[in-house]
Amino acid sequence: MTQQEIIEKLRTMMRKSSQAQVNWDSVNADSAIASLGFDSLSILDLVYDIQQEFGFEFEAEELVGVKTVGQLATFLEKKQK
Amino acid sequence: MGAITPLGVDEETSWQNILAGKCGINRITALDTTDYKALNGAEVNNELLSVAMKARQINSTSDRTVDFAMAAAAEALEKSRLRNTDPAVETEMAVILGTGIGCNHSFFNAVNTYITKGVKGVRPTSVPRIMSNAISSQISMRFRLNGPNYVIISACASATTAIGVAYRMIKEGNIDMVLTGGTDAVFEPLVYAGWNQLGVISCNPVPEKSCRPFDAGRDGCVLGEGAGILILESLESAQLRNVPIRGEICGFGESSDALHITRPSPEGQARAIRNALKSADMKPASIGFINAHGTATKANDECESKSIRLAMEDETDRIPVASNKSYFGHMLGASGAVETITTVIGLEKGIVPANLNLDNPDPLCNLCFVGKEPMRIESPVAIKNSFGFGGNNAVLILRRYKE
Repeated sequence: MTQQEIIEKLRTMMRKSSQAQVNWDSVNADSAIASLGFDSLSILDLVYDIQQEFGFEFEAEELVGVKTVGQLATFLEKKQK
Repeated sequence: MGAITPLGVDEETSWQNILAGKCGINRITALDTTDYKALNGAEVNNELLSVAMKARQINSTSDRTVDFAMAAAAEALEKSRLRNTDPAVETEMAVILGTGIGCNHSFFNAVNTYITKGVKGVRPTSVPRIMSNAISSQISMRFRLNGPNYVIISACASATTAIGVAYRMIKEGNIDMVLTGGTDAVFEPLVYAGWNQLGVISCNPVPEKSCRPFDAGRDGCVLGEGAGILILESLESAQLRNVPIRGEICGFGESSDALHITRPSPEGQARAIRNALKSADMKPASIGFINAHGTATKANDECESKSIRLAMEDETDRIPVASNKSYFGHMLGASGAVETITTVIGLEKGIVPANLNLDNPDPLCNLCFVGKEPMRIESPVAIKNSFGFGGNNAVLILRRYKE
């Protein structure tokens, strides 16, 4: 899966998990995850959806330093390899 | 008032379709019914629901039970001119809702993922999704209603009980406004399989003829889904806000059969009706219409006929009785709310919907029934009965509002 394909999938999953009013069509690799309306509960849903979608597990600590949608996609791209 | 029903995703459309004699019961599409004998159900149209939610700016919570309530709540708040457009502004309003099953979709998902994937397959947010009070909490949060919020569970009486509790809260001066009603979404494999096995669901091969309250040929209830929401408000508050008042709740009675988990009792039900009359300070002579629980099971309709006769005494043969369940099935924890809404509109307009499939009234259901056409009623006062598994009985007395 290419990074762009991963970003597309993330966008769909984020739209579902976040209850915030966000213009999801404009979300791209540079979008800050912190700006997308997640809280400590809804981020659990997002992590769960990612793990179910990609078929592997990871710990929250592994995401330290991941600030943008693009960085998250890169993390997942490396992880799936 | 707001309604999501198998006959429309708003109160007015649902009412017009009932009055036109349309039936919302069809073959169930939400689940694979291969091994089921109960094949008929009254489902809410998904496309219409989606359009209504978008128009009312409601994001799906992924739980159908909550989504129904949220969409109906948005309609009710908008019509009552109480929907906040500014999320920073709170409204002092309680949220007291009923449900029979609760967050059925979330519950089934959690069970299914646990069985197929084990502990790690279970969504971390399963608990706040499954808990029944998620329904009232989600509405409280979405519309910023800061009064108490909770959910009442008394099976098929849930919504009527919730409305009754809301009525008492206002009457006792605890709060001026309550968003109340009920919601249920029963067409999920696990819970619906249970209903299928219980043996109380009609197996009639013709969907629109399958739900036949009080008819000699009835062979069980047909389940439905949806939500009904009412905004109750003290008279002073409604007058101060200068909003249209749709009707008045003037009595609420409840009781328990204290006998059997599913078999109803005429004495228990009659006690709830009498308690409602007492609460309204009325006699049976004041009642002009009864919107019955009328599920179309053998046991319910015969029992309810007896309980009405016990409570209404000599007035029984005068009072027209109808059940709305032949239109949208038994909506369980939503039924009392949607049927309260149709009763309020009926009193408002002076007309009540027909008994759709009552071709041949059961001699054991010896009541004065509304016929197969809508009926004009002059009386401003009606009863709404709701009786649930568990011996839970709840009865409201409703009155046309007169300035």
